[in-house]
Amino acid sequence: MDITALKIRDMRAALDKKEVSAAELADAYLTRINEIDGSLESYITVTAEEAKAAAAKAQTIIDKGEAKPLTGIPLAVKDNICTDGVKTTCSSKILENFVPPYDATVMEKLNAEGIVMLGKVSMDEFAMGGSTQTSAFKKTKNPYDLGRVPGGSSGGSAAAVSASLCAAALGSDTGGSIRQPAAFCGVTGMKPTYGRVSRYGLVAFASSLDQIGPIAKDAHDCAVILNAISGYDYHDGTSAKLDVPDFTAKIGQDIKGMKIAMPKEFYADGIDDDVRNAVTEAAKWYEKQGAVIVDCSMPSLKYAVAAYYLIASAEASSNLSRYDGIKYGHRSEVGDSYSDLVCNSRSEGFGDEVKRRILLGNYALSSGYYDAYYGKAMALKQKIREEYAEIFKGCDVILTPTAPTVAYGVNENISDPAKMYQADICTVTVNIASLPAISTTCGYDKDGMPIGMSIIGKHWDEATVIQAADAYEKQFERIPAKI
Amino acid sequence: MDIEMVRHLSNLGKLSFTDEELEKVAKEMTGIIEIMDTIKEIDIAYEPIKDNHNVYLNGLREDKAMDSFPTEKILQNAVNSESCFVVPKVVE
Repeated sequence: MDITALKIRDMRAALDKKEVSAAELADAYLTRINEIDGSLESYITVTAEEAKAAAAKAQTIIDKGEAKPLTGIPLAVKDNICTDGVKTTCSSKILENFVPPYDATVMEKLNAEGIVMLGKVSMDEFAMGGSTQTSAFKKTKNPYDLGRVPGGSSGGSAAAVSASLCAAALGSDTGGSIRQPAAFCGVTGMKPTYGRVSRYGLVAFASSLDQIGPIAKDAHDCAVILNAISGYDYHDGTSAKLDVPDFTAKIGQDIKGMKIAMPKEFYADGIDDDVRNAVTEAAKWYEKQGAVIVDCSMPSLKYAVAAYYLIASAEASSNLSRYDGIKYGHRSEVGDSYSDLVCNSRSEGFGDEVKRRILLGNYALSSGYYDAYYGKAMALKQKIREEYAEIFKGCDVILTPTAPTVAYGVNENISDPAKMYQADICTVTVNIASLPAISTTCGYDKDGMPIGMSIIGKHWDEATVIQAADAYEKQFERIPAKI
Repeated sequence: MDIEMVRHLSNLGKLSFTDEELEKVAKEMTGIIEIMDTIKEIDIAYEPIKDNHNVYLNGLREDKAMDSFPTEKILQNAVNSESCFVVPKVVE
């Protein structure tokens, strides 16, 4: 039995029955990371010693019969989530040596569960990108084809899960950064409702859109992690003071009668035939199980990419002003004045894509352009939210492709930022509308590359999203990456 | 987007580019702005009254003194001296 290929709940059973120890489990992953990650490049930092210590601690809890669902489970963490004493780089030179003095709230919660953190995984710099190729350190590859990208920005998380270099991982999603890499790497990724999970300790990109979520081998495992990380947090005023339900509660319930909407704009030109066909076939499967497919429309989708990039970049240009080379982060050797030191530190530390986003954000917010760009983008945000509200009057969940294509080659698109932005068309509206959504695999193209579909739910209704994804996964035969 | 505009925006963002970089960035930004300009087609306005963002704002936190991080932890990632951040001299 290859224990690294197990799902979390099977690992839980194996640990509790003493078929495997937490140390053996951690060692199995660390060995695999050693063997494979040289070519995959998913981990920026491997915390082997800390993992062994955490495994020993977890074992004492297991031995006492006090294990929680994640006790002893080896996880990876996206490198924009602060980990006390462990480098958190955001894949940026500007934070190359940054060691947070505190844990993000999600890490406090996971550590309280007794997880074994294997290390920090790569991403697009400051989560800005969809390929993990803007990382200053590890340009992660796709486990299904090392010549292709894993998606992004949580590409390290998705690739590590797909290649069984961790049981599951945390990612963050500002415009699709959990769902799209999950789709590209043939795994399952969940973006919770905005406010479900505390953002305290998540390095800010666009604060009104960012949300932490799990990437795992299936929807059920995502639910187990979501159970552990959700809830109100004193340190995050936008976290919701709502009771956290059991996200596994609806798993296994009949989907007969479930209303599934398919907005036609998500299936229009620009979506590859293979992708459209696979998601449409999945819809037919749901229909056969007694679900009701609802036709609907989202007319504003064609403006969504622009609205998203204007809002996200405006917020990013403000959030990234904290990097001055003085309080923390890269400090230039050059600069006799305060102003020169800040300018040189930022110019040396930030990569090209981050600089473009700062420029775009400043443009959208600057005098004379504000109304035409940022103001209009905020108006579109309202319109997109209203269109979702209208669609949800007639359905329980919405089904769309996760990305217009399967994973592309590592050297494609990267030189054309405008083209890269357009590829986010299927995911950005979910963040704009603060909705929960999951991406799971629904097929493979002729080259064997995974195709993802997204199931979008009503606010706070993650449980139905998970129910719908789990129902499909139970009958769908996944083809694991051969790495 | 012309080079002057890129220069203006980079000044706002405390970024510097060489002349060669400025040309490249101006070209890239022109392509990006073309996408952003698609929103000019639609005639709608932001209505603050409609905007609840779906965020469950829980009211402001109580204004009370709490422990913060110890100074050495706050300074651990900075060039520092005598419990202070060090910056270039700003007054003569």
